[in-house]
Amino acid sequence: MGQGRRDLEDAPAGREVGANRVPVSARRSAAALVLLIVIACAHRGVPGGMATGSAHPDPGAAAPGGASSWFHFVDVAAAAGLTRPYLAGRPGKDHLLDSAGAGVAFLDYDRDGRLDIYLPNGWRLDGDRVVERGTNALYRGRPDGTFRDVTAEAGVGGEGQWGAGVVAADYDGDGWTDLLVTNFGRNLLYRNLGDGRFENVAARAGVESPGWNTGAAFFDADGDGDLDLYVAAYIDCTLDDVLRARPTLDWKGLEKVAFGPFGLTGAPDRFFRQEGGRFVDATAGAGMTDLGLGFGFAVRAADYDNDGDADLYVANDSDPNYLYRNEGNGRFREIGVWSGCALDAGGAAQASMGIAAGDGSGSGRLDMVVSNFAEDFSTYYRNLGDGFFEDASEETAVGPATWKYLSWGSAFADLDADGDLDLVIADGHIYPQIDRHPEMVGTYAQKNLLLENRGGMFADVTAAAGPGFAVVEASRGLAVGDYDNDGDLDILIGNLDAPPTLLRNDTPQGAWIMVVPEGPAGGPPPPGTRVTVRAGDRAWLRDVAAGDSYAGSHDPRLHFGLGGAERTDSIEVRWPDGATVTLRDQPVRRIVAVRRPR
Amino acid sequence: MARAFVKVGAILAVVALFAFVAAPARAEQHAGATPAEMVSSYQSLADAILAVKKTEDHLVRSILGAAYAHAQVEMGRARAAIKANDMKGAQAALENVAADVAQLASEGDSAVGAVRKRLLEGGHHHNADGEQKGLYDPGFVVVTKVAKQAFLDASRSIGQMARAPKADALETEWAKVDATWKTLQPAAK
Repeated sequence: MGQGRRDLEDAPAGREVGANRVPVSARRSAAALVLLIVIACAHRGVPGGMATGSAHPDPGAAAPGGASSWFHFVDVAAAAGLTRPYLAGRPGKDHLLDSAGAGVAFLDYDRDGRLDIYLPNGWRLDGDRVVERGTNALYRGRPDGTFRDVTAEAGVGGEGQWGAGVVAADYDGDGWTDLLVTNFGRNLLYRNLGDGRFENVAARAGVESPGWNTGAAFFDADGDGDLDLYVAAYIDCTLDDVLRARPTLDWKGLEKVAFGPFGLTGAPDRFFRQEGGRFVDATAGAGMTDLGLGFGFAVRAADYDNDGDADLYVANDSDPNYLYRNEGNGRFREIGVWSGCALDAGGAAQASMGIAAGDGSGSGRLDMVVSNFAEDFSTYYRNLGDGFFEDASEETAVGPATWKYLSWGSAFADLDADGDLDLVIADGHIYPQIDRHPEMVGTYAQKNLLLENRGGMFADVTAAAGPGFAVVEASRGLAVGDYDNDGDLDILIGNLDAPPTLLRNDTPQGAWIMVVPEGPAGGPPPPGTRVTVRAGDRAWLRDVAAGDSYAGSHDPRLHFGLGGAERTDSIEVRWPDGATVTLRDQPVRRIVAVRRPR
Repeated sequence: MARAFVKVGAILAVVALFAFVAAPARAEQHAGATPAEMVSSYQSLADAILAVKKTEDHLVRSILGAAYAHAQVEMGRARAAIKANDMKGAQAALENVAADVAQLASEGDSAVGAVRKRLLEGGHHHNADGEQKGLYDPGFVVVTKVAKQAFLDASRSIGQMARAPKADALETEWAKVDATWKTLQPAAK
């Protein structure tokens, strides 16, 4: 822990992971069954008394530009057993599919309380020849923080499809996390059988939707208690188009690179309403027809206007982004332009790739950061309330910090548990040809970015965040989660033509609590559930999403950094149907499961 | 598509052949000059091309006019609802105004945007010169960047008002929309 603060080094050692059941009172109903499961209180380097907020009294190494940091991340992917590379078309990235990569996911498929990992895979091409169809990977988390490849026994290898994204969610409500794998080709819906195996039910569920599918989200669109599905699509093209593609686009007069997306036709996104395990295309009826045929990449469902139902945001490449506001009864209205989150401050559509949603400004509302192409800002959309946004990229310094990077997966996460949400963004260019031109801005492989929240301003502390952030790859998907259950958030990143990066968080942490909202029968947190934790005069908001970042899924457990708080005053859990449970006066540094009352 | 090209090519070839055959009869033309018939055909084609561009201008103005007219109707509804203290009605009307003004900003809804994208992909820039000068977004025909920004700001402001409509503030925002709209009207000849 080379970059740690001196006053944190003598912190008490973490305790053994254990499991206890502690009954608590519920606010809503005296008869409510609430199980508070203290799953773990182990934590590495817990500070005795950390200042709340972002003013760091004793920062560690200095980063260029004056930014300093005590963050410390180490890439442990290889040691943890994550060795399978993502096959990404041809070396020259002759078609955009070669360079799109895929999302990544943290999930707990076997309900053992430890995170597992799912990684889609692509194909290796040589000219117009398919050399190898990659196999997706399911890695099961072991207690020692390593992973075992269980792909074959679980039956989730991807069936030779070209993988683009993955969403982990219990779509059928049986308490086991299922997997939707979006593809260039037919989607796969792997239903978890509960015994370590999955079966692909995409055809009979009606979600194969052949095409170039990308980001997706499960969410309860109509408030009927089951999960509906939105699947974004990118370009309308065939495998033959991909195989025959050659770099023909003149890029800045310097190189011929992969053609598109301009000049190609966008593929329409689709919305599926669930009817008892089957998904019915309800795109038009729901008011979600993709009239602009936007080049869709990322999807994030959330209650952006705080009115109690799920809205949906879609990041489009080179087209205005969409915000579908839930009007109730399963109907949506697209309000992106006039709500202020479709375009940047200058009124321009950007080449959007990924979405981070979170209460970055501590307002009790969900802001968004939309990651964009190189030589352009990633855009910080500050939520003004009632579902309106303003571009605060300059003001928060997120824009200037991201300008030279081509950014993809992203997340808000309190990576030092100081009580505010930092930003982590995966980067990597799509044109390898850029490396022949050192005079150009950027390189093909790029470092990923860590932006520390300092009172609403984001400081680039990447260079001082340890060796993990010195890793340089063409990165795409990104997911955050506490894979080693030590109370801090680690980072999983997918890379093109390389194995993933797993950044173990060795940063000294403030107080934290992890809340796991469960359905009445247990199982993974239902998407759309919101949790508010209060301590002293501060409150923190998190929500559960199934489909996030760049076509991926984060740890569904909700992590709260609490700074110097030693107890929480209240933990309020609100499920999508409005049922609410409040826990009072809870100790910190624990994983707490809260079951919805029947 | 390919068949259409073959047809057009065949017609042009026949015209060219005819023109060259007829050329010696025209004593006033020097040798090697482009035959007058071809120039005349090209003139006709130019008329058509310029007419198409003008038609595009008219069509986009019609699209904008429809959005503006709809916004005016919704403004009337909003005014009436506010006066009647019908907050729900006012909210619905104001959100429609906001959506209409957003369409003015985007020079049509996303379906129109898809058409514009197709034209750009084909290399057609209605205001190529204006785009070069930074006055227009790519493919925009009527709405300047300045007007777009004004419409965008107004659409969000009006949308935000929907939750707590106030007549005075609404009229102020609408006046901005109106003023911007007027700047886009062709000067009277």
